[in-house]
Amino acid sequence: MAVLGAASATRLAHADPLRLRADAFAQAQPDTQSAAGLIVLQGHDRVTPWIDAEGLVWSGAKPNATADVLVLTVRVREPHGYGEVRAGRFVVATGAILPVPIDGAEAIGRTRWGATVEAFGGVPVVPRFGARAYDWIAGGRVAQSVASRATLGVSYVQRREDGEVANDEVGADLAVAPVAWFDLAARGAYNLTYPGVSDALASAAGRWGAWRVELFASQRSPSRLLPATSLFSVLGDFPSQMLGSTMRWKAAPRLDLLASGAAQSVGARLGGNGWARGSLRLDDRGAGTLGLEIRRQDVDQARWTGVRAVLSLPLGRGFRYSSEVEVVVPDQPNGRGAAWPWGLVALSWRSRTGWEVASGFEASSTPQHRYETDALVRISRALELP
Amino acid sequence: MTARFSLILLLALASAACATVLGLRRTSGAHPFEHRAHSLKGINCVECHRGVGVADNTSPLHIPSDADCRRCHAKPHDERACGGCHGESYVREGVELAREHLRFEHRKHMAATRGDCVRCHIEVTQRDAQSILPKMASCFGCHEHQDQWGLRDCDRCHVALADEGTMPDDHLVHDSDFVREHGVRAASARDLCASCHSERSCAACHGGDTVPALPASLAFDEPRLAGLHRAGFRSRHAEEARADPGLCVTCHSETSCLDCHAAQGVAAGPAARSPHPPGWITSGPGGGEHGVQARIDPVSCAGCHGGAGEQLCVGCHRVGGPGGNPHPNGFSSRKDKFHDVPCRSCHGVGP
Repeated sequence: MAVLGAASATRLAHADPLRLRADAFAQAQPDTQSAAGLIVLQGHDRVTPWIDAEGLVWSGAKPNATADVLVLTVRVREPHGYGEVRAGRFVVATGAILPVPIDGAEAIGRTRWGATVEAFGGVPVVPRFGARAYDWIAGGRVAQSVASRATLGVSYVQRREDGEVANDEVGADLAVAPVAWFDLAARGAYNLTYPGVSDALASAAGRWGAWRVELFASQRSPSRLLPATSLFSVLGDFPSQMLGSTMRWKAAPRLDLLASGAAQSVGARLGGNGWARGSLRLDDRGAGTLGLEIRRQDVDQARWTGVRAVLSLPLGRGFRYSSEVEVVVPDQPNGRGAAWPWGLVALSWRSRTGWEVASGFEASSTPQHRYETDALVRISRALELP
Repeated sequence: MTARFSLILLLALASAACATVLGLRRTSGAHPFEHRAHSLKGINCVECHRGVGVADNTSPLHIPSDADCRRCHAKPHDERACGGCHGESYVREGVELAREHLRFEHRKHMAATRGDCVRCHIEVTQRDAQSILPKMASCFGCHEHQDQWGLRDCDRCHVALADEGTMPDDHLVHDSDFVREHGVRAASARDLCASCHSERSCAACHGGDTVPALPASLAFDEPRLAGLHRAGFRSRHAEEARADPGLCVTCHSETSCLDCHAAQGVAAGPAARSPHPPGWITSGPGGGEHGVQARIDPVSCAGCHGGAGEQLCVGCHRVGGPGGNPHPNGFSSRKDKFHDVPCRSCHGVGP
């Protein structure tokens, strides 16, 4: 068992130009004897407001020594915001284009009258700079805003794998906020290879004092979300749909209550899901929290009920205790255990100088294992250089 | 009578306890500073906040000292520091944070408002206002920032916004179930999100196969953080995936399940155990449950059987094979079925 520790450290942000952060994380899983270690290094440099760079690299030891780059970008910005260019490794996502990590470049141009033009191109990221064979992705978006109240955009993306079309989509997105208490957002993507809607989402929310009510709807066609080079993309259109609502009520200065319910159709099989959550801040600042959540899922073969409770308690002198407990009861255990309990206790300490240490112990009974335990340690250090 | 009295007493105590716990009644020593009381006494702000009228962007904060208080309160009721009870420490920390991350000069604003502080600090007039920092909407009352908003030109006022780590409380509120909501909310304003969120915020979840560990794992001591993968997600991940087919592939590649499943011995391979129930594949029309489930959630199939594993399917579903036609009625594709991937796997004319 065992593992080493590692790092952390977040403290109040300061507007210094160069920030560095190192996290070392380790966990032990006695049942598999597979210790895991992870070191994450982050740097953020903001020499002037118009240029910044960011990097996040990590190395790990599970199951073998390995390392990779998660983010490595340089962004140059026209001082007044009329345009910007960024290049390197980053996640591209705009309009109806789903997030894709790429090694490439992106340019954005804006006009004073609300028009925006974006274009990007590059190579989809392969872990650890693995081999690529004629893979590339390119796309863009054109949008127009009207008086900061509405934005309408149209996007296009094409992705190729080994020279073959893997994704060829057009999309549209809309955001409207006609009055201060109401806003609406929607997006949809249309697959050109297998003609049809691959993904569509809409959300409308209204706020009245302590209340917020949101209505949401979605349609997703899994076969069209797969690369068109996958054999499983040819099975046709059996979309899943969801229609629901979420409500939030700030019932008291320290108490928030939330509830959500949705009806679902999964491949023409009807079902639904819902949850309710209460969150009580234990002091005016919200440093301590007590939370309780109950959740029910009932659709197709996914039927279960779950309860989760969290407690986060400041102990003074930079120490904090936290614990989290969850119990999930499946309707049809099928030999996977009648209930899947999970629990974690953690103690963390944060210094004023940028050091942070956290340790935890996790125990669970899962569908795979009668019981499972894990020890976790994280040590972090944040530096800010002038 | 005694029972009724006891019941009333019990209810009163319970109400008092609830009021305290819910924050309806204050019990701690520190409380919001009595700005309103001072204002009603006709005390000018600059009498306590000395120097604020000429303060520029680099001037020290103008939070009054004990000496400032004692100029009027010559006989204080307590020898302890005034700020220990009058005003809350976290409010002052917020002011310090604002100083670091805002380009703002009181000097210019005092001249423009002719010394009327309340015009911006409207909370001064409210009883028990915790913070009197003006909300951003107050700025818009005088300043036309539509151009800056559209051009994402926040740097004129905000310094290193992405590093400030403060959620806005009066615009772009991240409320309720924002993890689910953020995808549709960000669609039209990705670059607006980027004005606060650095690249690693997105990459922490959407970094594909290069993410070393999800935020829920790294921040195991922060149970208050929202996230799809919190708590016992590993136990229920199969149920979560079944409940919303295609959701996983909006972040993960279709084969990202494979590494973990292979380690657990639940993946395609000679030594692996099959996760499928008896009767998964049957001969005859439909072929059993596997045909139904593959149509509902082809992403799950691709998780193990993608890539080279597709040959398992082709063995039966090739043209003329026993598996029959896997395409539904009305299926259409712009691909060349004899030459393009994946069509040629079954329809190819051979080498």
